Amino acid sequence: MTDGQVGAAGPGEPGEPAGPAEGAPGTDLPEAAVRRLESTAFSSGLTVPDFAACLDLGLQPVALVQGFCVMQWGWYGQGSGYMRGMSPYVGGPQSAGSYSETYRCPHGFVSNEHRSWGQNLEQPWVEAAWAQGYGSAYQRMIEEATAHGAHGVIGVVDRVSSVADTGTTEFHFLGTAVTVDGGPPPAGGVPWSTYLAGQRLTKSIEAGFMPVAVVAALASVRVWAYCITEYLMEGNMSWGSPTGPHLIEQVSKAHMAVRQLARKHVRQQLTGDELHGATIDVVARELSQGDEVIDCTLRGNRMRRFKDFDQVELPRPTVRLS
Amino acid sequence: MSTGFDPGAAPRPDVRSEMLLGARSLAAPAPPSEARGITSDLSVDEALLLHAAGWEPLDLVCGVAVVSVPVGVWNWGRGAISLASDAHDQAVDQAAAQLRGECSKVHGHGVVGVRVEVSVRTHHIDVELVGTAVRPIGGKDARGTDAAQAMPFVSDLSARDFTLLQRAGWMPVGLAFGASFVYAPRRTAGTAMKQTRQNVELTNYTEAMYSARESAMEKMQHSALHTGGQGVVEVKVTEGPMSFARHAVGFTAWGTAVRLVAEAHQFVKPQVVLPLDDAVVTFDAESLRGGAAKGRRR
Repeated sequence: MTDGQVGAAGPGEPGEPAGPAEGAPGTDLPEAAVRRLESTAFSSGLTVPDFAACLDLGLQPVALVQGFCVMQWGWYGQGSGYMRGMSPYVGGPQSAGSYSETYRCPHGFVSNEHRSWGQNLEQPWVEAAWAQGYGSAYQRMIEEATAHGAHGVIGVVDRVSSVADTGTTEFHFLGTAVTVDGGPPPAGGVPWSTYLAGQRLTKSIEAGFMPVAVVAALASVRVWAYCITEYLMEGNMSWGSPTGPHLIEQVSKAHMAVRQLARKHVRQQLTGDELHGATIDVVARELSQGDEVIDCTLRGNRMRRFKDFDQVELPRPTVRLS
Repeated sequence: MSTGFDPGAAPRPDVRSEMLLGARSLAAPAPPSEARGITSDLSVDEALLLHAAGWEPLDLVCGVAVVSVPVGVWNWGRGAISLASDAHDQAVDQAAAQLRGECSKVHGHGVVGVRVEVSVRTHHIDVELVGTAVRPIGGKDARGTDAAQAMPFVSDLSARDFTLLQRAGWMPVGLAFGASFVYAPRRTAGTAMKQTRQNVELTNYTEAMYSARESAMEKMQHSALHTGGQGVVEVKVTEGPMSFARHAVGFTAWGTAVRLVAEAHQFVKPQVVLPLDDAVVTFDAESLRGGAAKGRRR
């Protein structure tokens, strides 16, 4: 569940955690969590309508399960080796196959301060660190569910937030572990998971889609601006920079690339399944002189079709009199 | 009270057995697949509705453009800030072109539910469009498959609205956008002094704002005609001062350009329904003490 593969492994697939964690040495659940999980009372984060729909589906809630991971960000700053390449002809420190694009200045040598070349650079180390934090939190939630012998986790809520002012980030997962009445355990004992619950889950099942896992990926692209990008982003007039509105190619391409990379990372986790209800969030931090860091998170429900889809009748439009 | 008898209702599938079927599908390891997974930001309802209308989602697609705003554009001046409007139009056009390009790449015939994000900054205008590429099931399109893939439609209508529009004989053709930025007009010192204690209409303000709004809408309609539409639906209008230049006001108007593809508008003939779950009138203890209310609705 690391290496950017959040929730990638569905039941019975490579990458799944080994066996139930209950009582097993090596589990990293806190003692309080183990005591809570041993309780005979069930708990759930479902609303009453979702709870009713859950029972209607033959799902029995067993426990509210959660997973956390706090990560320190140490990617930048002095001593960091994560910089662009040393020349326009050398890529950055990314792994092979990562996105990078180089832009060269049209002016020739002007001065040492002149940004004679720039790069758009995918930051796989950022993506891997995010996937580690997100994946570990997810894994811990799944461990709790496995300890209960759950078949799945529904109504998953995830949150990525800063912890006070400590320069650290917390990944938090919360969901309701359920068992399927009379249903077989998932392959390999790894519970399935979904953001859906209640009527939305019921409709998905009726439509022939079974949730496999929540999937998410972060893509990160660093823009090292070259002179023209710097002029346009900073509003400086200089020789060679257009006087009218002009597409800022380097930044536009970086924005497109970061979204496409996030989609690519998520698609790698689908292995032929479908992604439903995707949400895409982009955070762009302008640094200085046209430099930017753009992070894009894409998440959704990985769903598997288990029966041929019965086309529903086109609903009849109605007008309410009240 | 329900009698449990509903002769008109279609038999509802047994969701428990469907759930069991789904759970069994995960009990065995998934066979290796080379299939390209579908990605979509549609809700379950929207996906079902689209399918009912004969369309299927293909891929989550996006288009982004960042266009520069030349130096000095936001400085004090008079009238319209045409360079900012041009930058806005250029950013929207480029983003829409990219969205169409991504849609064509996955053999989509259009993009529905497009989320539009426009950010106006001091030196650049950013436009982001994200939606789901769709195509008719079986790939047959009234426009012809090649034509549809060459020029997919872009629409910010939800799947529900898209379905209803299509049922009425119309099709979306593209996003229609218009923007107008103006400097807030200034009065002379003398006029300002004279009007300090008067309740008067500031006609120069009225005219400037009126004109800017009309200009944004006119551009939007022009853009609709340019994309081959006959009109625009779901028009959204935004306005407000620029956070970095309080003396400049921006107006934007956008919606989905639509065209009649049937011979005539098809009346959808909605069924009139009267919900019977009216608010219940309950006894109110206040009424015993001479309160006006005889009952309370809950």
